[in-house]
Amino acid sequence: MLFKLWQVALFTYRESLRQRIVYGVLICAALLILFSLMFSGWFMRDILKIILDLCLAAVSLGGLLVPFFVAINLVAGDIDQKTIFTILSRPVGRGLYIVGKFCGLALLACTIIGILTLATLAALWGAALIFDPFFLRNLSINAILVAIAMKALATLVLIAVAMLWSTVTTSTFLATLLTLCSYIIGQSVESVVRFLVLQQNQLDYSPLLRLVAEASLYVFPNLAAFNFQHQAAHGLAIAPGEVLFALVYGLSYTAGLLILAVLLFSRRDLS
Amino acid sequence: MPAILCHALSKTYGHGFWRLQRKVALANFSLAVARGEVFGIVGPNGAGKSTALKILMGLVRPTSGSAQILTMPASDPACHAHLGYLPENPSLYKKLTISEHLHFAGQLAQMPSKVIRSRTAELLALVDLSLAAHIPIQRFSKGMTQRAALAYALFTDPEILILDEPMSGLDPLGRQLVLEIIRHCHNQGKTILFCSHILTDVERICSRIGIMHQGKLVAQTTPAELAQQLPASAPASSATPLERLFLATVQKGVVPAGEQGEGHAL
Repeated sequence: MLFKLWQVALFTYRESLRQRIVYGVLICAALLILFSLMFSGWFMRDILKIILDLCLAAVSLGGLLVPFFVAINLVAGDIDQKTIFTILSRPVGRGLYIVGKFCGLALLACTIIGILTLATLAALWGAALIFDPFFLRNLSINAILVAIAMKALATLVLIAVAMLWSTVTTSTFLATLLTLCSYIIGQSVESVVRFLVLQQNQLDYSPLLRLVAEASLYVFPNLAAFNFQHQAAHGLAIAPGEVLFALVYGLSYTAGLLILAVLLFSRRDLS
Repeated sequence: MPAILCHALSKTYGHGFWRLQRKVALANFSLAVARGEVFGIVGPNGAGKSTALKILMGLVRPTSGSAQILTMPASDPACHAHLGYLPENPSLYKKLTISEHLHFAGQLAQMPSKVIRSRTAELLALVDLSLAAHIPIQRFSKGMTQRAALAYALFTDPEILILDEPMSGLDPLGRQLVLEIIRHCHNQGKTILFCSHILTDVERICSRIGIMHQGKLVAQTTPAELAQQLPASAPASSATPLERLFLATVQKGVVPAGEQGEGHAL
């Protein structure tokens, strides 16, 4: 079972590496990191913050490429173009197909984020050579690595979201649209709920609205839970409890989405 | 025990925006294919041929009835270890090469690397794609893709082959090649179930032929019977015996005596 899972993941990974868009985004992200060194000199007091903001934005960009372009293209496109028969005509069940594809895409995301992490560390090394150490006094490699690891986890959650929509919809466009909506809601849902809780005395809104907002915190992926960019940029300490919560939340949410995707996909006719 | 057994299969698809409109693709379809037999299914477009094959591959769930491959339920992916499937208008992963596809099939079957390499060379030579082994599929013509997909279906030397329109998109040379491969597989004792629109090919290579119409197997015959037995209502023309039987069965809804009900009796 695990051997077959690994073979499907490897096959997916090999195919995804041949997508030109992967290299396009990698080049864009690498340029962004390079520019971070050039632009940061303009903001003498915030050199570290500018470098890290740009580098972590590049990591996010590289990570987002996988669910939005590669995952949907590979899973919804697989069903659309009937390439899925290539795998399902072998002794591979639908559950194995979904989990194998997810693992292959997760491998791709880790490769891209790994390369961009090395580029970020290279940019920081370059900054240490160019600028006075005073401007980099808040640098915390641990905080940066934690922030990047959490971005990788958020990417895995989004890949699972993209896979879920790809297995239930009949077109790649619809799958992309639904994944994009989930991403936008996931980015802002925590802020909205926090606002509603803080303003409950000032604003007159129905309890139902608050209930819906709080429920959406559990239904949609709360991507803000994985955002440690602020701590990394300012060299602030990251509470281990927060990281643990994000880790458990991210992994269980991803597992839940994959189980749902497998259940729905097992019932689908591939005609 | 037959290699392939379908019993009273029915499939109804929902269509329209809310999928409330129903379309019957298969209605009480029964079929038994014995081991070592080449069974060809012919029928007009929309007769339900591909749906029947997809149910056998576990790609589509029947509304009712059952399908078995070597006594295993067709929905069980484990039975695919004994199956080779060529879908209609096959689509392989465009960025990958045929060698990579065959390697994947071999790895899933847990074949040793040495065997995978020798089998790859053997099959690529068989389908005349040795020179295209390392070219991405996206640069293949339709005929090359069809032959590549056939090599992928044959890679693990399966006992049963399910081929959906294996000759579609092929030039006369390619068609001849596929016919030879099917004959070769038959001589090796493989069970082959395929559907095709090209009646002359079906007549040439099948040991048994079934005619499907409106989701049912309405007639079954053999090439030998075809030569002897033609319905009186068959239109006189230059058509081959199978073409005449097909037209008599499908166009006029006539089921020739002696063949009627064989499909239902299973």
